[in-house]
Amino acid sequence: MLDNENPTILSVSELPTRRDRRQRKDQPKKDSIRDKLYGTPDWEMNPYYTLAYSDADSDDTNLEPIDEQEIYDLIAPICDPEHPLSLESLGVVKLQDVHLISPLDPAKPAALSRVLVELTPTVSHCSLATVIGLGVRVRLEKALPPSFRVEVKIKKDTHGQAEEVNKQLADKERVAAALENKSLMGILRKMMQPCIEPQYQ
Amino acid sequence: MASLEVRIHAIAEFKPSAFPDRAWVSVPNPNNIPLIATATAEKSVRVYSLKNFTLHSKMEGGHNRSVRSVAWKPVTKNTGVLTVASGSFDSTMAIWRRREDGSSADLNGREEEEIFIENNVEEEEELEIEIGSDGKPKPRPRLITRTTDSDDENEDWAFEIVLEGHDSEIKDVAYSPSGQWLASCSRDKSIWIWEEIGEEGEDDFETIAVLQEHTADVKCVSWRKDDGNGEVVASGSYDDTIRFWKGDDEGEWSCISVLEGHEGTVWKLEWEPEVSMKRFSPEEEAKEDDHEPKIPRLLSASADCTIRVWSRAPTPPPPNKPSYFNSGIPSTMRPPPANETWECTATLPKVHDLPIYSVSWSPKTGRVVSAGGDSKIVIYEERTKGRTAVGGKIETEWVVMGVLESGHGPWEINHVVWCKRFDAGRKSEDEEMIISTGDDGAVRAWAIEEFVAPAENGVTVPVVAEGTPGTKVASSS
Repeated sequence: MLDNENPTILSVSELPTRRDRRQRKDQPKKDSIRDKLYGTPDWEMNPYYTLAYSDADSDDTNLEPIDEQEIYDLIAPICDPEHPLSLESLGVVKLQDVHLISPLDPAKPAALSRVLVELTPTVSHCSLATVIGLGVRVRLEKALPPSFRVEVKIKKDTHGQAEEVNKQLADKERVAAALENKSLMGILRKMMQPCIEPQYQ
Repeated sequence: MASLEVRIHAIAEFKPSAFPDRAWVSVPNPNNIPLIATATAEKSVRVYSLKNFTLHSKMEGGHNRSVRSVAWKPVTKNTGVLTVASGSFDSTMAIWRRREDGSSADLNGREEEEIFIENNVEEEEELEIEIGSDGKPKPRPRLITRTTDSDDENEDWAFEIVLEGHDSEIKDVAYSPSGQWLASCSRDKSIWIWEEIGEEGEDDFETIAVLQEHTADVKCVSWRKDDGNGEVVASGSYDDTIRFWKGDDEGEWSCISVLEGHEGTVWKLEWEPEVSMKRFSPEEEAKEDDHEPKIPRLLSASADCTIRVWSRAPTPPPPNKPSYFNSGIPSTMRPPPANETWECTATLPKVHDLPIYSVSWSPKTGRVVSAGGDSKIVIYEERTKGRTAVGGKIETEWVVMGVLESGHGPWEINHVVWCKRFDAGRKSEDEEMIISTGDDGAVRAWAIEEFVAPAENGVTVPVVAEGTPGTKVASSS
């Protein structure tokens, strides 16, 4: 049974994005960092990737720092588990609810970036809020460099069990265990499908 | 004014597997054997040699999900067999055994074998030492160090038995100091107390108690040494509380104390070592007439970014105790185990700004080390501030002695522990190091160097060292 049978759907053309959808097809390599992020990131394979990342690339002035828009673009296409619609079009994720605290001195190797994403569930009793939040957290943890600490919360006053959901999403052990749960991973994989497949043909 | 501080230096990195996944915890052998066991998301336990920081052996095939926790059974009698319990997200606990000489634990032949494990420092120190200064002959080496490319490296730990019962992920396992009990805790909100019955090695376990008062995941368990009244197990939970549990004379276990105060999940509990208990005990009070056993304090590390020190408060008179005069009928009820009242008596200086996953209290120096989501490793020391009165209680304060940032690069650190050094580079036989375990799958060893730092304006400035992963270390590649 659906929690919300008639969700409000936002017009995709009015949503904030930096993606130029037609150009993207012709020049797929232009959006360097995001394309890197969509592929299998090196740091997933090699734990010392960041060493090379910070040392070798820090003088690369072409490398733009990751900003809120880029983080938003990573999670916007995630598909809602019960509607074939993106979190962006359902208004679950909003650009203004993506907060990024970058380190004051990015050259310092110890510097950590903090990301806070606030989600607005479509209905205040949405039983899938935890799954959606998990999807957002996992998506960002996989796609962002390991120096990013991701926090996903339910926006204040938008959900009945916001505190419980927030605490679960902040618990790395619960998240780790959830990712070893096959049925949950099946749901997550389906939600992530639009992020991985080329979506703008 | 000058103050004593520490620098934290990388000594070595234990070689991880080819494609390392998250490592959760590394536990040194409690009986002075130079081995440390690491629980990993690779569904295995890696055992490293502390003599040369190489992989010694592996426990594989016992779990089908992440191994979250691992515990060595303390050796109380010489059997020549090492026993390890591992707890997994697959909701089972496994018991592993390995002969000291490297072969699988063949328990029938065990009696004839030469006894090795001695709960004795000197015995262990002799390993591979040529001729001791006291003229002792070289003992034959009894630990076989295996290399990573050995094909049968995982065959020397025998998977003896699987203990099932929990409904969901096991978070932590712990043997009691006497070795009598094994505790496991889980997301199913319960703590199970197991006892190995029958002869050692028969693998017959009995569930002594299932303790279910926590209202959410139980994240950690830690045993308090027997003070003469029995061993107590402490548990920390996602419900933000700490509880103490104890069995009575009839073997009935119950909760004897609830410690409230944390505003986040309690990730780790650590009991005070004797060295610290002795240092701050007023000698005047330790007279003959004081028969109260000394109770160690407890440290707790939490997602609320604090580390708290808890102390036992003097037991208040039980409320509503029936008067001796009005009870006409003698009670057949046995009194429950004495409840304990505990209070938070200190909070360590705040350095971490993300959840603190681990804290360890050094049995040698009484210093404390902590680590967590912010990748920092922090060392604290408790110092005497003064006395409230002549012969009165000693007042102490906790100070930060040193901070190491990026202990595992940008990765979170899941565990830190004080550990004796056994490698050739140690400066003394009882030198300690810190072992850290991280999300990068790495296990690292850190040495502590003391120095006297001049304080600026009377304020102690902690020294910040950079722990870059590329730091050249003395490990063999």
